Amino acid sequence: MESLSDTTLAALHLLFSGNRELWEIIAISFRVSGVAILVATPPALMVAFILTYKRFPGRRLLISINSTFLSVPAVVVGLTFFILLSRQGPLGEWKLLFTQTAMVLGQITLAFPILVAMGHSALQASDIRAWETSRTLGANPLRALFTVMREARFGLMAALLAAFGRIIAEVGASMMLGGNILHYTRNIPTAIALESSKGEFAQGIALGLVLLTLAFSLNALLQHIQGKGQPAT
Amino acid sequence: MSDRPILDVSALTKRFAKRALLDSVDISLHRGECVLLTGGNGAGKTTLLRILSGLERPDSCGISIAADTPRSWRRCRHDLHNRILYLHQHPYMFDGSVRYNLGYALPSGLNKPLKRRLIDAAIEWAELGHLHDTPAKSLSGGERQRVSLARARLRNPQILLLDEPTANLDQEARQRTLDLLNSFKEQGIALLLASHDPLHFSSLIDRHIHLYEGRLIAIEEEKLMSMPSPNNETALRSTA
Repeated sequence: MESLSDTTLAALHLLFSGNRELWEIIAISFRVSGVAILVATPPALMVAFILTYKRFPGRRLLISINSTFLSVPAVVVGLTFFILLSRQGPLGEWKLLFTQTAMVLGQITLAFPILVAMGHSALQASDIRAWETSRTLGANPLRALFTVMREARFGLMAALLAAFGRIIAEVGASMMLGGNILHYTRNIPTAIALESSKGEFAQGIALGLVLLTLAFSLNALLQHIQGKGQPAT
Repeated sequence: MSDRPILDVSALTKRFAKRALLDSVDISLHRGECVLLTGGNGAGKTTLLRILSGLERPDSCGISIAADTPRSWRRCRHDLHNRILYLHQHPYMFDGSVRYNLGYALPSGLNKPLKRRLIDAAIEWAELGHLHDTPAKSLSGGERQRVSLARARLRNPQILLLDEPTANLDQEARQRTLDLLNSFKEQGIALLLASHDPLHFSSLIDRHIHLYEGRLIAIEEEKLMSMPSPNNETALRSTA
């Protein structure tokens, strides 16, 4: 077995030599998770808004159910969709199993409760007068909604980054729904799992470095955004 | 002041738990009229203003706008939003400059030069010239009040509801606010002011009503001047 330093050097070489296979895996990861976030964000923020601003029977139950989904393991989400999308499953006719679309579906399911929970917190922390002032100044409900979102944008951006960070690093759902097919559904986490099982640590570490850099960048961005959102003293 | 009210609300009731905060309240407002609404803490002044502006749902009431057939609050809600503007006790400033906040009150379809002209006129009207690019959230209480009034001017409502518009303002800021309110009145806009202190508004008001145990009581001018406090129970009971 190679030493850790040798493996890390090999990993850096792979990254900076522009290894096509490696960068393709990275691109697939970003594409799938990017699409999942883009699709999940609008309805999730709408749900967060309704939970914050509307009072209706069952509201608290919905909040509890959403919080429960926060702790569902990715592999359980993967298994559920696997059963639904497999040939004998109720959605088998769609022939989506082992496609990027199936991976997107799994990641949307994982991102949605995070976006709802953090979006709900961000909107709860914002001032109700933003909505009321907007409405009394003649804004229709849609414009008032966008105004409230704009006022709470730092908290909502944090929700988006947290959800993206969660789904781009998950392995369970991507492995079960994508099948880890090279050039098609192999993303960073599934590639790391595969290379590690083969004893090929260089590519795994290179991809791990990408995830680590991404995590650092997202956190730095989050800190920056939250800092901007703090009131001046 | 015209004879026909621009807003006529009858039998307005609002309950919290089992207590009737507003108990079959009747209230009307005429064009260019300034009405002072007083009442103790928790009497329901703010709730009444919020219901009239369409922000809070009453349990029941009939509303007639511009001498129209009385309708339920739910059916009138859109009209209430369009014709009535409610100003919070502490006006909310959107994240952005004073200019952005003023522009918010204008219809989004306006062309840019016209929008700029209208905002400039409102800035001049409220004497905010030195603040137009300042972040609105950093303004003092008095400046926020002037921005909110300038915003109201751009919105051009028929009725303006103000919740404690001079609370926590120093004398100069209070006088400026009163001057701006007077100019609304001169334009024919009806004002309903909720306040603890009737004496601040004596030069402005045409009528004084007091909210007491869920009901509105008309206060006569002489009693108003002789009353040391709007919470004077004896005076109120005799008025009722």
